[in-house]
Amino acid sequence: MDTSDPAAFVNGGLLHMHVGQKVRAVIQVIRSDVGSVVGKSTDDIQIIVKGSPPIPRTNYIEVIGVAVNDNSIRAEIWTNFGDTFDAYNYDQLCQLANGWFKHLFL
Amino acid sequence: MFSSSQFDAPSAFSGGGFMPSQAHPSQPASSTPSKSRDSQGLIPVTVKQISESYQSGDEKSNFVINGVDVTNVTVVGMLFDRRARSFNDIRFHLDDGTGRLECVRWVTENFETRQMDEIEEGKYVRVNGHLQSFQGKRQLAAFSVRPVTNFDEVTFHYIECIHFHLHNAKLRSQGGTLTQAQVTESSTNTPLHSTSNGCQTPSFNNFTMDVSTDGLKGFDNLVLNYLQQPSNIEREMGVHLEEIARQLKAPIEKIKDAIEILEKEGLVYSSIDDYHYKAVEGC
Repeated sequence: MDTSDPAAFVNGGLLHMHVGQKVRAVIQVIRSDVGSVVGKSTDDIQIIVKGSPPIPRTNYIEVIGVAVNDNSIRAEIWTNFGDTFDAYNYDQLCQLANGWFKHLFL
Repeated sequence: MFSSSQFDAPSAFSGGGFMPSQAHPSQPASSTPSKSRDSQGLIPVTVKQISESYQSGDEKSNFVINGVDVTNVTVVGMLFDRRARSFNDIRFHLDDGTGRLECVRWVTENFETRQMDEIEEGKYVRVNGHLQSFQGKRQLAAFSVRPVTNFDEVTFHYIECIHFHLHNAKLRSQGGTLTQAQVTESSTNTPLHSTSNGCQTPSFNNFTMDVSTDGLKGFDNLVLNYLQQPSNIEREMGVHLEEIARQLKAPIEKIKDAIEILEKEGLVYSSIDDYHYKAVEGC
């Protein structure tokens, strides 16, 4: 069992707390560029995700990777999270997992 | 739909597993299980919580998480490194973002083989199983591995873990040193509203007790007194934080704060690892 490499739940507003660390976030793709996408996080903040999303992709995608700076992630794993997803719930989870209940996660 | 129902799990094998004694889930376990599973449902946990749990006795005893005896758990995460050690012994790692846990699935029935065949590497799955310690390592003896198809289930699982944790903290504090109002306040209000500035570090100052004359707060004294009991002084390995939390019926965070203060004062020290502490003798 290994807990040395956890991924913190983040939204756009929490990304700055984990720069240089492994993070996970759910985004909606706004725009695709070569080698990166511009996504909207669950708190409606635009972040840049480096890498290539899966093809085909759904509306919501989870990205797991390293936070490069306070508004971009270098993604290592992309997972389609479907076309319907409760972004508000996920956002609330991000707040809880970084706050009162951080010790259950990181 | 996703809820972990009160599933009275069939008795899984214990230890290294020579005889996979997985019963068909539609049949109740006919043999008397060696561990009590009467009121146990499936406890939602993160791998981090499993890593911080301790066993109440030897390798065959129950695990304790948040002060509760836990046998059967439900975990959601990504499945990696799937390999078959033999035709009916399938192993994999479950990575839930808080840690990686080794899982073992014994397949004896056709439906079990079919279930495992559907599972793809790198996909989210929900694993229900029985926590075990084998040769000093924690692992999960899985009796159900199901792919996640609606990803709200992922969010739901972590919320459920938080809920379980909070529920136990509340139960423990009801008979203990915290007032009901303080715990209710923390459990019903999310003190963090959705701001874009991130969140604030929580403080547990609500829970402090009367300050005693020698500078240590009343609660810190309680923890110290517990560790200074002769039976605990004698224990070479020290006392696990979870056990202190259980005995004093307080949340583990409160215990950790007290230990930090006591450690600074030179009254306690960590013994075999960061979770076990002993009182300094002769103080």
